[in-house]
Amino acid sequence: MIREAVTWPARALGRRAEDLALAALDSALGSRVGAEAVDRVLASALTARAVSRVLEGPLVDAVARDVVRFAVIERMGDAILDDPALERMAASALDSPVTERLLVQVLESRLVDEAVQRVLAGEEMWLVVDEIAQSPAVTEAITRQSVGFADQVAGQVRDRSRSADARLERAARRVLKRRQTGDPGSS
Amino acid sequence: MHTPPPAAARYEGLVTRAIAFAIDAAIVNLIGLLVGVVIGLALSILTIHDSLRVVLVACGGAAFILWSVGYFVVFWSTTGQTPGSRLMQIRVCREGGARLEPRRALMRFGGLVLAVLPLFAGLLTVLVDDRRRGVHDMLTGTVVVSAPVRD
Repeated sequence: MIREAVTWPARALGRRAEDLALAALDSALGSRVGAEAVDRVLASALTARAVSRVLEGPLVDAVARDVVRFAVIERMGDAILDDPALERMAASALDSPVTERLLVQVLESRLVDEAVQRVLAGEEMWLVVDEIAQSPAVTEAITRQSVGFADQVAGQVRDRSRSADARLERAARRVLKRRQTGDPGSS
Repeated sequence: MHTPPPAAARYEGLVTRAIAFAIDAAIVNLIGLLVGVVIGLALSILTIHDSLRVVLVACGGAAFILWSVGYFVVFWSTTGQTPGSRLMQIRVCREGGARLEPRRALMRFGGLVLAVLPLFAGLLTVLVDDRRRGVHDMLTGTVVVSAPVRD
C-alpha cells in the first residue's frame, strides 16, 4: 500500500516526461532547423566516412545473408506480383505511345541489326537449328504434314478424275445417242 | 482376305482407272529402268561377245515382260489393288465381289493387252457400259469398284 503510494507519482511523472520528449521531437522534426540539421549531417564528412565504413565492413555481408535467409526478395517479389496494380501499370505502360515509340526506335536502331547478325554469324545458333531440325518431334511433324499434303493432293486428283469420268461418259452417250439410266457408276 | 463390294458398289470410270494404270506403269518402268541400269553397269566392265549380248538383251526383255505381268497379276490376285489403284482408291474384283484367282488375273492382263492393241478401242466400252466394264473385264467377269480407305 505504502509502496503503491510512492511509485504512482513517479510513474505519472515518467509518463509526463515521455510525452514532453515526444512533443519536443515532433516540433524539432517539423521545424526548419530540424531539416537543416539533417541536411548538414548528411552532407558532413563524418556521415560519408560512416557510410564508407558500413559498406566496407561485415554489415553488408550480414544483411545480404539475412536477405537470402529470410527470402526477403522472394517475399517482396510475391507481394509485388500479386498486386493487381502492377498489372494495371504494365498494361498502361504497354499501351502508352511512349513505349511504342521506344520500341520502334530500338527496332530501327543498328543495335538490333548487329545483334541479329552476330547471332546468325555464331556457330551455336546453327547448332541449335540443327538440333531442333533433327529432333524426333520436328521430323515427325514434317512427315505427318507431308503425308497429309500427299493425301490432300491424291484426294483432289480422285475427285477431279471422277467428275472427268462423268463428263466423258455423258459425252460418249450423247455421241452414241444412248440414254443414261441413273448414275452409271452405281450398281 | 478380300472385302466384297458393298450392296451399292460404285464402279469406277475410264479416267480414274487410266490414272491408276499410269501410276502403275510409272512404277513398273522406274523399277525396270533402275534394275536395267544396275545390270548394264555391272556387265559393262565385262567383255561380252556380240552374240551373247543379243541373248542378254533378249533375256532382259523377257524379264521385263515377266516383271510387268507379274506385278499386275500378283496385286490383282492378292489384294485386288495395285499401288496405283490404292492411291486412286479403286479395286479389281469378280462381279460378286470375290478376289481374282491368279489364272483369272493373268487372263485379265491378256485381255487388257488385247483391248489396248486396236488403238484402245477395247476400253471404250467402259464409257457406255452400266458397270463401266472394259472388254477385258467382260471377258474375265471382273469389275473395278471404289475402295475408299476407312480411317
